[in-house]
Amino acid sequence: MNLPGLGDIFAGWRKKTPVPFSALFKKFKSILGRNNAILERMADMGDKLGGDYIFDRQYIISSCEELGDQVFKLISDLNLLSNRKNAALFSAFERIQHQINEELAGRRALSRTDHILPLAELTHDLADEGGNKMSSLGDIRNILGFTVPDGFVITVGAYFELMENAGLRRRAAEMTARLLSGDGQSLADESRAMREAILAMPLPRKLARSIEKAARDLAGEGRELLAVRSSAWGEDGESSYAGMYESVLGVAPGGVLAAFRQVLASLFCEQALEYRRHRSGATEEPAMAVGVMRMVPARVSGGLYTYAPIQEGSQSMVVSAAWGLGKPIVDGTAETDTFILRRDPPHLTTSTEICPKTTRLALIPSGGTRVEEVPPEESGAACLDTGQLTLLAETAMNLERFFKRPLDVEWAFTPDGALVVLQARPLSIRPRACSRDLDVAEAAKDAPVIFSGRGFPAMGGVASGPVHLVAPGGDLSGFPYGAILVTHHSSPRFARIMPKCRGVITEVGSATGHMATIARELRVPTIVGAAGAMSLLREGQTVTLDADHNVVYDGTVEALCRYELARQDVFEESWEYRTLKRVLKHISPLTLLDPKSDDFKPENSKTFHDITRWVHQRAVDTLISLAETHRGLREGVPKKLVSRLPLGLSIIDVEDGLAPVYGEELREQDILCQPLTTLLEGMAATGMWETHAVAVDMTSFMSSLTRTLSAHQSHPATMGRNLAVLSRQYLNLHLRLGYHFTVVDAYLGQNVNDNTIFFRFLGGVTEFSRRSRRAMLVAAILERHDFVVKVAGDMVTGRIKKHPTEAMLDRMFMLGALIGYTRQLDAKLDSDQAVQNHIDQFMQRLSPLERTRERPWKPEPRIELGPVS
Amino acid sequence: METRTPDRARTSILMLDDEPIVCKRLRPFFQKAGYEAEAYSSPLEALERVKARRFDVVITDLKMEGLDGLTFLEKVKVLHPDTDVIVITGFATMETARESFRKGVFDFVAKPFKLTEILDVVRRIEKERGLHP
Repeated sequence: MNLPGLGDIFAGWRKKTPVPFSALFKKFKSILGRNNAILERMADMGDKLGGDYIFDRQYIISSCEELGDQVFKLISDLNLLSNRKNAALFSAFERIQHQINEELAGRRALSRTDHILPLAELTHDLADEGGNKMSSLGDIRNILGFTVPDGFVITVGAYFELMENAGLRRRAAEMTARLLSGDGQSLADESRAMREAILAMPLPRKLARSIEKAARDLAGEGRELLAVRSSAWGEDGESSYAGMYESVLGVAPGGVLAAFRQVLASLFCEQALEYRRHRSGATEEPAMAVGVMRMVPARVSGGLYTYAPIQEGSQSMVVSAAWGLGKPIVDGTAETDTFILRRDPPHLTTSTEICPKTTRLALIPSGGTRVEEVPPEESGAACLDTGQLTLLAETAMNLERFFKRPLDVEWAFTPDGALVVLQARPLSIRPRACSRDLDVAEAAKDAPVIFSGRGFPAMGGVASGPVHLVAPGGDLSGFPYGAILVTHHSSPRFARIMPKCRGVITEVGSATGHMATIARELRVPTIVGAAGAMSLLREGQTVTLDADHNVVYDGTVEALCRYELARQDVFEESWEYRTLKRVLKHISPLTLLDPKSDDFKPENSKTFHDITRWVHQRAVDTLISLAETHRGLREGVPKKLVSRLPLGLSIIDVEDGLAPVYGEELREQDILCQPLTTLLEGMAATGMWETHAVAVDMTSFMSSLTRTLSAHQSHPATMGRNLAVLSRQYLNLHLRLGYHFTVVDAYLGQNVNDNTIFFRFLGGVTEFSRRSRRAMLVAAILERHDFVVKVAGDMVTGRIKKHPTEAMLDRMFMLGALIGYTRQLDAKLDSDQAVQNHIDQFMQRLSPLERTRERPWKPEPRIELGPVS
Repeated sequence: METRTPDRARTSILMLDDEPIVCKRLRPFFQKAGYEAEAYSSPLEALERVKARRFDVVITDLKMEGLDGLTFLEKVKVLHPDTDVIVITGFATMETARESFRKGVFDFVAKPFKLTEILDVVRRIEKERGLHP
C-alpha cells in the first residue's frame, strides 16, 4: 500500500505528537459513517422514483442541499485524516454541485456533448439529447431488447449549436414572443421566413462531414436507403405534436444533409407554431433532434393500436397491415387487412377482415419510393399469419406495459420474417370506459382480495396475469410470457426474465436491492417481502397485482387495469419525476470504478457517488499506511497470525478485535473479530482447502493443486503482504494467495442497516479463457448467495448489505470457503462445462458444512425494515 | 365481482396541496383504493368546496400561498366538527404540531411519505368513526 505522496504525510504525522491509532480509527469510522449516510440518502432519492412515495419539489431541493452538505463534510473529514488538502476533490465537488443547481433551475444540462449518438447508446435518460421519438426507440432496443432499425441521432446539442451560430436561436425566441403576445406578422409569414432561414443556414464543415460519414456507414457504402425523422422535445410525449413534423423516407446517403435541414425546418411549420401559441404552458424553447435510420425493406408493414377504440369495455387490440412499406397505411390511403385480437394472452384473433390490396409502396434502389402493382395471387391473401399476429401482440403489450399507456405501434416484417418496431407513440384515444372514476372505486372495493399489506412495493403499477411460482434456485428457462413471478427471495438472477413478466412478488427482499432497481428500470410492478405469498398463491391462478396499494386480487380486475392505462398523468412524465431523475444523474452513477486504474483520480469525479467512493478508498489506504508507520503506538503494531492455513497474515487491531496478547504472535483463538473468525473457519472447512490426502474422487483435484500451488509458491514469504485491519465488528482484509488477490471489507454489527460485505476477487497470470471462466465461476457463486455482482475483465466484485447479522456471517463463511476453493482451480477450468461442474461441486460441499457448522454468536433481534401485517 | 353493490356509501376525501404533483398522485391512488376523492391545488377553491358539502376526511398541506393549512383546518372544523383532518407537511416543527393538535388535527404525515402510510391513517379514521372499512 505504498501510495505516492504519502511519505510527506508520514513525515508530518511523525513530527507532531503521535495521534493514538484509535483516534485515527474513530475519524476513519466517522468517514465510513458519513459515507454510508450519503449512500443511503442517494438510495433514498432513487427509491422515490419507484412510485411508492409522494414527494414534491421541496423534497428534491432540500435533499440536494443536504447531500451537498454531507459530501462537502466528507471531503473535509478526509483532509483531517490524511492531513492534506484535497483541492482537486473540492473543485470536482463544486463542479457537480453547480450542475445540480442548473438542473434545479430548469436549465437542462445535456449530459452528452456529442453531435451524433448511435441508437445503441440511447435511452430515455438521454431524451434531452436525442429527442422523444429516438430515445423511445432507444428504450425499445436497449432496455426491452426488441429489434428496431439501425441508426443514429443528430442531437439537440447539434441543433442548438447550429441555430446559435446562424443567429437563429435568438430570432426564434423573438418570434415565439411575438406570436404569444399576438404582435407581428401572420403565422404563415413568420413560419415561412424561419423555415427559409434554416434551409439556408450554413452547416459547419466538420458537422456536415461527420453526418455524411455516419450516413454512408449506416447505408453500407450507399447500398441501402435511409429514413430521416424528426425527434423533437415533447413530440410523442405529454403534448402530442404527432404528425406535425416532417420525416423524409428513402434518402440516399448523399441526400442526408438536405433531408436533415428539411426536418429541422419543420420545427417551425405553421401547424407547430399554431399549436405552441395555443398552449399557454409551452414556454420551453423548442428543440429538434433528427434520427437517421436504415430503411427496412418491409415485406409487410402496418400499425397496431393496443387498445381498439371499437366498443366500450372491449379488451381488444387492432392490427392493420398491408404489403410493402408502411407510409400509406399510416396516412390512411392504403387498403389494409384488419385483425382484431384479444389483449390478454394468448391474444386470440377475434375478427379478420381481408381486403384486396392492389398496390404497395416499395423502395427505389437509387433513392425514393414508388407505388407498385401487387401480383394478383398476393392481393387477396392475408398478409399476416397467426404466428406473426401473436408475436406482434406480445411485443406491443410489452411496449404498452413499459410506456404505461395505450400505444400506436408502427411495425414491419422483413422479407426473412423478422419483426422490426419502427415507432411507438401514445395513443391519443383513451379507452372511454376508464374515464369513469366510480367504476374503479367500486371494482377495487368489491374485488376479492387474496392478501394485502404484506411487503413493500418496489415498483408501483397494476398488473394482471397467471401466477408462476419459482422455487429457490429453480429453473428460469421456461418462464412463461406474461406471467407474474412469485418467488421466495428477490435476486439479481431474475433480471433475465424480467422483460417477460408482468409483475413480481417475493416473500423476502429489499426495495433498495438490485432486483428492485431492474424492476424500476423496466417498470415491472413489484412487491418485495410479502411473507407467505408462495403458499397463498397457486401456480397458474390468475391474479391482479396492485403494487401501488400493496394488494393482490383474485382474478383480473379489469377496471383497475384499464384505469392504470388511462391515467392522464403518468408519474414518470411529471416535472418532479424528471427533475429528480436528472439531478440523480449527477449524484448516483459510479464512474470511478477501479482504484488501480490511472483514471482513479479525484479530478475525474463526475458524480457525488464518485467523490464518495474516492474518499472511501483513500481513507482505507491512508489508515493502513498510518498503521504501518505508527511504530511507536503499541495498539497499532501489526501482529503475525499463526494459523492452521499458511496465510502469512498480519493483523492490525483497531478496536476490541483481539484478546490481549503479549509479543508479536497471535493464535486464531485470540481473534475476537467475528467476520474474520467466520471467514477463516470457512476457508479451513473440509473440502475447501485441502493440503493432504483426500477421498478418491479428489485425486484429479489434488494434481491440479500441486501444479498451481507448489511448495515454493505457497510459502508465505513469497505470497506478498497479507493484511487484516479489524475491530470486533469490522474487517478489512487484503489477501494474496497463489495467483489470486482478494479484498474483503465487511462490517457486521448490531444494526441490520449497517451490515455490509464487499468482496473483490482479482485473478493472476493464466490464459484469457481460463481467467474469464474463473470470473464466471466466482460471479455465479456470489450471485447464488444474493450478492450484487459486477464482472470487469478478470475482476469480480460482489456486494451485499442489510441482511441480518447471522445471514451475513453465513456469507462470510461461504466467502472463506470460496477463497480456499478457488485458489486450486485455475488449471482445472479447461472448459465451460468444468465451470458448471465446479459451481455444483462447491455448492454440494458447502451446503452440509453450512447446516452443521457451529454458530457461536447469539441471534440478534431481527430489525424489520417496515410495516408487516 | 359478483358481490358488487354500487350503492354502498364510500368514504369521501378532499385533498389540498398547492404542489399539484401531490394531488395528481393522491387522487387516483385513493380512487383506485375504493374512495370518493376530490383534489384541489387552490386553498380558496377547496374552501368553497367544503362550504358546499361535508367530507369524511380532509388531507391538507401546511404551507400554502393564500391560506395556510392551519387556518384551513380551523375553518373545516368549524363547518364540520366530525370531519377528520390529516396534515401533510415537509416542515414539521413541534410548534406547528402542537398548534394543529390544539385545533383538532387527526394526525400528521411528514413529506415525502409512502402512499401506504397515508392510506393507513385514513383507515384508522374509518375504524374510529365506524365508517365502512
